[in-house]
Amino acid sequence: MTVATTWKQMLAGRVREDWAREIDIYETQLELRKKGKIEEKLFAETRLRRGTYGQRYDNGQRHDGQRTQTLPFPSGELTKGPVTMWDAPGMQRIKIPFGKLSADQLDVLSELAEEYSDQILHVTTRQDIQLHFIHIEDTPDIMRRLAAVGITTREACGNAVRNVTACPYSGVCHTESFDVTPYANAITYFLMGHPDTQDFGRKFKIAFSGCKDEPCGLTNFHDAGAIAKTRVVDGELKRGFEYVVGGGLGAVPYPATLFDEFLPEEELFPVTQAICRVFARLGERDNRARARIKFLVKKLGIEEFKRLVLEERSKLRTDERWLSFLSDLHITDEKPLRAAGSLPAAPYPDGFEAWRKTNVRPQSQQGYSTAKVTLPLGDFTPAQGRALADIARRFTGDSMRATVEQNLMYRWVSDADLPAFYAEVARTGLGAAGADGITDVTSCPGTDTCKLGISSSRGLATELHKQLTVLGDTLAPAAQELHIKCSGCSNSCGQHHVADLGFLGVSRNMNGRRVPHFQLVIGGQYKNNAGAYGLAIGAIPSKHVPKAVKTLTDRFVNERQPTETFQAFVQRIGKKQIRKLVDELSIIPTYEQDPSYYSDWGDPREYTIGDLGVGECAGEVVPLVQVGLAGSEREVFEAQLLLDEGNSQGAAERAFSAMVQAAQALTREKNSFLGEGVDEIVREFRSHYYDTKLFFDPFSGGKFAHYFFRAYEHRGEASVSKDAAHQLIEEAQLFVEAAHQCYTRIAGALP
Amino acid sequence: MLSERLQLKLFLEPTVVELEAIIPVFHRFIREQVVNELLIDVIDYSHVPDGPGVVLIGHSADYYVGAMDGKYGLVYSLKRGGPGASMRLEDSLRRLVNVARLLEQESGLKLRFQSGALGLRLTDRLHAPNDDLTFESAKTEVEQLFARVYGAQVAVERVREARGPLALGIRVAGSPSLEALLEKLGGPPAAYAAPSGWH
Ligand code: SF4
Repeated sequence: MTVATTWKQMLAGRVREDWAREIDIYETQLELRKKGKIEEKLFAETRLRRGTYGQRYDNGQRHDGQRTQTLPFPSGELTKGPVTMWDAPGMQRIKIPFGKLSADQLDVLSELAEEYSDQILHVTTRQDIQLHFIHIEDTPDIMRRLAAVGITTREACGNAVRNVTACPYSGVCHTESFDVTPYANAITYFLMGHPDTQDFGRKFKIAFSGCKDEPCGLTNFHDAGAIAKTRVVDGELKRGFEYVVGGGLGAVPYPATLFDEFLPEEELFPVTQAICRVFARLGERDNRARARIKFLVKKLGIEEFKRLVLEERSKLRTDERWLSFLSDLHITDEKPLRAAGSLPAAPYPDGFEAWRKTNVRPQSQQGYSTAKVTLPLGDFTPAQGRALADIARRFTGDSMRATVEQNLMYRWVSDADLPAFYAEVARTGLGAAGADGITDVTSCPGTDTCKLGISSSRGLATELHKQLTVLGDTLAPAAQELHIKCSGCSNSCGQHHVADLGFLGVSRNMNGRRVPHFQLVIGGQYKNNAGAYGLAIGAIPSKHVPKAVKTLTDRFVNERQPTETFQAFVQRIGKKQIRKLVDELSIIPTYEQDPSYYSDWGDPREYTIGDLGVGECAGEVVPLVQVGLAGSEREVFEAQLLLDEGNSQGAAERAFSAMVQAAQALTREKNSFLGEGVDEIVREFRSHYYDTKLFFDPFSGGKFAHYFFRAYEHRGEASVSKDAAHQLIEEAQLFVEAAHQCYTRIAGALP
Repeated sequence: MLSERLQLKLFLEPTVVELEAIIPVFHRFIREQVVNELLIDVIDYSHVPDGPGVVLIGHSADYYVGAMDGKYGLVYSLKRGGPGASMRLEDSLRRLVNVARLLEQESGLKLRFQSGALGLRLTDRLHAPNDDLTFESAKTEVEQLFARVYGAQVAVERVREARGPLALGIRVAGSPSLEALLEKLGGPPAAYAAPSGWH
């Protein structure tokens, strides 16, 4: 018998042939890149399409708090993409369709985290699992080991159809029209590698929801969302979907637009395929910042978009897969492992009752419940992964689901087993109550590992989790149900727009140094599939955010009217009140008085380059710029107030005015004779900051300047809708943020 | 040691470990290049119960201060490269002892390691499956190395965790200082081999 010396040999015959071949090809490309025989851009797209991402510092540079140091990676100048060093640790995203995991899969994921990563498995806000600090050369084996248990990383990233998400309660929920699992499952594999999904200008995300009112599917911020619906047609109950398109978070969030009130199930695949074709053909390709389908839908208008899609649909060659999956909708059904039962009488294990109250929900099948394991920040260890797999083997079978709240949910827990189930979960250290509540803070990776992170969203989330957990049961029930979500930058991966209290990482120059901040985003709605997006109220120094959370939740608890939601409360007291709080909290001690304000949560490195001096010229200009930028921030806020009052036109005008003020403040540094005329400000801003690329940042390029130019072109338009005004406020906010960054660069305080 | 990846752990004397206090120390290790290897970043996982704790990410190896198996300690986790199979375990021990010694010297941390109690996990299921054969071979290698370095009797036991990697508990009589151990091991380690030697 020959002993296997590679994972390829070890797993021979256990990996689907087509998947094995794909991984072999990927491995060959990797070897070719090492020899310099594939161009770096091409290799970057290849690996991204297999879920292999870059991470922070992968350009080989790291600021150590005092200076930027070069990381002397052993493979020297070899890269795995533009400005991405070969040896730099990266992230492997692992697509878990609708979050469904088997015990064997969880075992293998745990092995991979143990052998190749930093001992942590991370559940993302889109039901994926991510491993961090992975070396590129380990990725083919990681993919093989996953493939052997039925997981592919294909199209986990890149300009492709990303992980298809769905409510974790599908099939066991009281409010669903029907179980969307088989639909989500079938469309995943129908679109994966489909020729019509290979030529997008950007990614495409699909979500399924079993009903409209609950938040579980969050369809409203997806490129395509399908909400289960039934309708009686000719006396027969027919299944279909309320189908929405063009939603998305990102820098400027767009709510999805209704495409079809009732798309029959037979049309789900062909219409989605036609949408993909239209997106590939007409979607923006050159300007990445405007390449998501939401911009195409907006540009064309939903009627024209729909007409094009239906025309495309009519031309499609029939594919038997459009309907074949309908003949076996039970393929994804789960069989409970244990008989249904009822909750035994007390005594219960310590902590059981609090946990049951927040983490357990009865299923539509009598005698069974779903139970959530609260994963702190979505993280767990390989040992915990194996223990959780064993719990599934003992109590439920292969029915675990990773959730968008970054937890793990078990289905089919017999009510009779709940205390024993809890005792086992508690033994893993993951028995905390409070799933999806205020202590269960959601966060994107932020500055921990993400290249684009501005502030430490995970550091903040950890701190909030700690402080709120200490308060525990003393928190009033109304406060316990609030959602907190944090993103490290405006890309919004932490989904802060739909939280009660959302936080978005930004930075500010204060007292001659750079200080991490978070924009407080308020007014988002989680219910109704993420029914409304919040808006930024103002920036708070990171170290004051816990105080802001405490003050706001206290006010909510003390001043709310019976049954009033946080959203309604904010509306009633008015954002001015909240802005006042933000203003109070915006003052921080000088560096000499307390340097901790000048570092981020969980990262003691100085956030600024302390040894950089401010030049004389900048010294003169700083106060003027600061005054102008502060004024523009105030105007953005005023625009929000106008929008809240129902004055969309006034809100849009004020948002544009904020942009003008920010542009003027910056441009005056270059042209001290600059006047007040808008045309002149735009022209001079363009020539001094856009044409010279001074306003560009390394990741977004000139995106934020385009917002300004577009607002200028459309200024004074006769009627402005509420959505359009909302969007313009978002864009103004981002433009002002970019002006802050630009100013910091000019002042010499940024690397 | 055939296992290309391994984790070697020195346990801390029972004490309250302030993980937060480790973070700036690890950042300084990077900034001042205190350890002769490529270190990249510090990640705080102290929110994960029984997790790796505070992690110093390196290119070839990571260091964790946490309580992964319920007991606090410092783990050296070899991920890639390093010397050949014959020197892998010894080199790992040397690097582990070196960093443990540096942490003990941080007066603000007040950490003390139990030099006579270690854990070893072979996190390479391909080359070191969790079976009797691998255990016997690893045990022999551990006994020889530790007897030589400690000059004392060594007891090695197998620690069983279902579907976990092969894990060994190591106990050595006496508790020599980390300085003395490091001297036996040849002093602070040199940089890892040149790029051509990396996998
Ligand atoms: S929101 Fe920004 S910091 Fe957070 S993961 Fe997304 S891109 Fe990175």
